[in-house]
Amino acid sequence: MSNTNANKPISSEEYKKVTEKMYTQNLELARLYKEVDHLSKQRESLMHLINHKVKGAFTHSKYIFAGILDGTFGEINEEIRKRAEQGLDSDDTGIKTIDLILNAANLQKGFIKYEMKPADFENIVSKSYSEKKVPAEKKGLAIEMNTGDGTYSVLGDAFWLKEAVNNLLENSIKYTKTGEIKLNLEKKDGKILLSVKDTGIGISEEDKKNLFTEGGRGKDSVKTNVDSTGYGLYSVKLIVEAHKGKVWVESEGQGKGSTFYIELEPVN
Amino acid sequence: MNPEIQFPQIAMRIIREQELIIGPLAWDEARKVQGLNVIDQKKGEVSFQNGDSKNIIDKLVAQYERIFGKASHEVCRESVQDLIAEMSPDEVPSSLR
Repeated sequence: MSNTNANKPISSEEYKKVTEKMYTQNLELARLYKEVDHLSKQRESLMHLINHKVKGAFTHSKYIFAGILDGTFGEINEEIRKRAEQGLDSDDTGIKTIDLILNAANLQKGFIKYEMKPADFENIVSKSYSEKKVPAEKKGLAIEMNTGDGTYSVLGDAFWLKEAVNNLLENSIKYTKTGEIKLNLEKKDGKILLSVKDTGIGISEEDKKNLFTEGGRGKDSVKTNVDSTGYGLYSVKLIVEAHKGKVWVESEGQGKGSTFYIELEPVN
Repeated sequence: MNPEIQFPQIAMRIIREQELIIGPLAWDEARKVQGLNVIDQKKGEVSFQNGDSKNIIDKLVAQYERIFGKASHEVCRESVQDLIAEMSPDEVPSSLR
């Protein structure tokens, strides 16, 4: 069967129609680009405001509370001490939350320069475990770490990898009311695999979809953790992916605990 | 504003706006307009040869419209709204009114 249209030259009118259509489509794209660009600039300005004004305000009141507690403003009674300690805690939480959001924004924009060097991932996980053991046990949770045989060298930035592990551990502590948290580091299928398993609130199938997205929080997460920002796991994903690794979660559903995984390439 | 600065500024704005939509082709088409010289595409510098500046702008707008249709004419008009707002009506090229 022959296609007679294939060899037929395009008329100038048809050509003009095609060109005009292409222009209209490009125009639509250019308008969308402008909108995105505008939103991105707005976001940058918001981040600047958060960093300088909001964080500044927290830091200022933290200084005042610390001054009350260390006696700068004279002797204080027990009630004022208690209130000042609460104020200091609240400021610390505020500053930590702001840092989390700013870090996520900087990671996303590529402003973070990773120092990729050979690093001992076991050491990174152990340090994070030691730091988080105290708050976990203070909450009444059992926590343990198991490490399989072998070495766990990776090519990566130890600071940011620790941030990622810290984040998973902090989440497990926050979202687990009773029970235990188990960290397991092993070699599997030639990769390094870290799992953080908890007996916490668990994650529904629906929540799993947006858990690692920007601002993506589980539906019930705010009930358990009022300070949930939705930027923690997003940061973990950005960090792990910058290390050519993978992060994911498994959970049998709400109330059934969760296991978060980080998989990294080993180096010799 | 000095017309020697004002009209090249209008032309620049139009070319830049078209460049966002059709890319470097916007410069190729501008070069075809008689009386308009592209001095430096990167820096975005153009100059007008002696002649009717309003007419050169009209020819630039028509150059785009001839190939890309009415939508491109509208883009030219929208892109210079703030610039022509400062001009008296008889100074504004007819294609931008």
